[in-house]
Amino acid sequence: MTDKKLNDLDGLENLPGFKRGNPTYFENEVIDHLISITLELGAELWVVKDRLAHVEEVLSEHNKLSLDSLSTGKPSALLQEQLDLERTQIIKRIYGRLYSKYGGDVAEEKSAI
Amino acid sequence: MGISEAIYKRGKTAGVFPSLSTRRDEAYMDFIESARNLLLHAQQEPIGEYSKLLLKNAGKSMEPDPKSTAEAIELLMKDNVLKTYYRIKRTLQESFWECTYSSLHMRKNDLLRALDDAEKIGPGSVAYDLDFSIPEYATAEIHIQPGGNVNDPLSGLLYDYGSKVFMGGAADNDMFADMQASAVATPQNNKVHRILDLGCSAGVTTSALKRIYPDAEVWGIDISAHMVRYAHARALGQNLDINFKQMLAEELDFENNHFDIVVANLLFHEVPVSISRKILSETLRVLRPGGSFTLIDFSGDKSRDVYTMFFGAMDAADNGEPFLPGFVRSNVEEIMEARGFEMHPYDPDKFILAERIGFKPNH
Repeated sequence: MTDKKLNDLDGLENLPGFKRGNPTYFENEVIDHLISITLELGAELWVVKDRLAHVEEVLSEHNKLSLDSLSTGKPSALLQEQLDLERTQIIKRIYGRLYSKYGGDVAEEKSAI
Repeated sequence: MGISEAIYKRGKTAGVFPSLSTRRDEAYMDFIESARNLLLHAQQEPIGEYSKLLLKNAGKSMEPDPKSTAEAIELLMKDNVLKTYYRIKRTLQESFWECTYSSLHMRKNDLLRALDDAEKIGPGSVAYDLDFSIPEYATAEIHIQPGGNVNDPLSGLLYDYGSKVFMGGAADNDMFADMQASAVATPQNNKVHRILDLGCSAGVTTSALKRIYPDAEVWGIDISAHMVRYAHARALGQNLDINFKQMLAEELDFENNHFDIVVANLLFHEVPVSISRKILSETLRVLRPGGSFTLIDFSGDKSRDVYTMFFGAMDAADNGEPFLPGFVRSNVEEIMEARGFEMHPYDPDKFILAERIGFKPNH
C-alpha cells in the first residue's frame, strides 16, 4: 500500500463539514439556518430558566439579591439536580421529534463513551 | 498564585476542569452538553441501524473499501433525518467552541499570568521555545477548535474544557484518562523507571500515568508550547511531578533505550501517515529492550463495515479531523510490526480505544 493510498481523504473535502465557517447540509440553506436558530434559542431559553431558578433560590433563602452572588455563586446541589433533569426533559421534548422516524425520540441521555 | 486559584475561583467546576467565566456561560454549556448527549451520543446506535437499513434496502455493499464508502456517503446524505443529525452535530460543535473561546478569553490576561506563574514553580517542569518551527500539518484546526492546538495562547485550556463538553461528562474528574492509562502495557520484567507520553496535549493522560507509577520519571511532550504550558499548570494543580517539553514526536530529543514505557493516546489519527511512520521509528529507538509501547486510537478499516467508515468520514469532516481517514486505512498495527515491534494480540473489534501494544525486541 502506498502513502498516496494511505493519505486518501475518502472524499472528505467534498463533505459539507469539511468547509470552515458555516457549512450547509441541506439543498435549501434556510433549513440549516432554522435548525441552528432553534438550537441557539433553546440554549438561550435555558440560560434564562437557569438564572431565574437561581434567583428564586437566593431570594427565598436570603430575602435579598446581589448580582455578584449570581455570577460567582452556584445553585444548591438539590436545585442543580432538578435543573439537570428539567434540561434533559426539555431537550428531549422539543428536539427528540426530529428523530422520531427511526425511534430516536425516546433514546436516553448518553455520554460519548 | 497557583493555577488552581486563578482558574477555579468561580463557583461551578467539573472536577479538575477549569470553570468558565460566568454562570451564564456555564448554563449555556450545560445545554450544549445535554443536547450532545441526547441528540448525538444517544442516537449513535439507533441512527446506525437506520442507516444500515437504508444501505441494505438500496442494495449497497457493506465492505469498507473507498468506493463503497463514497457510495454510502452519496446515498445516506440524501436522507433528511441524517442531514438533520449532522447539521445538529456541527451547530453544537461550533456553539460550544464559540462559547468556550469567548468565556475563557474574557479573562485571558489573568489566565496567562497564572500560566506564567506556574512555570516558575514545581513539582515538575516545563520547557518550550517560542521560536519553535511548527510543521504545517500541525496548524490544522483539529476539532475545529479556534486557533487549533498551536495558534492560541489559551489552547490548552480551550482543549481541556472542550474535551469535557465533547465527552459529555465521561472525561470529568479525569475518568476517561484514568481508564485509558490503566490499559497501558507494563514492560517486560515489569521495571518502570521512565515513561514518555507522546502528543500529551493538556497532559491529562500523562497525569493519569504518574498516578499509576508515582515513583517513575514521567515526561509529556507536545508540538504546542501552549499545550505544555497548560499541562504543567494542570499537573501542578494536582501536585504531580511531571516534566513537560515542547517537542516533535517524530524527532525525539532523548537518548536511545531511555524509556520503559511509551504511550500515544489519540495522537496518531491527528498526524499524516508519513509522520506516523517516523514517530514509530523514534519510539522504537527511545524504548529500552523489552520496553512497551501502547498506542490508543481508533480501529483500522479491516475491522469496520461501510457504515462505520461513513460515520468516521463524516466525523472527520464535521469535527476537523483531516488525517483520520488516512489513519483508519493505514491499519497502524501492521506498520508497527513492520517497523520491528513484537506485537501483543490486538482486539480489532474495538471501534475506539483500540490498544495496539508492541514491545521492543530484546535482541
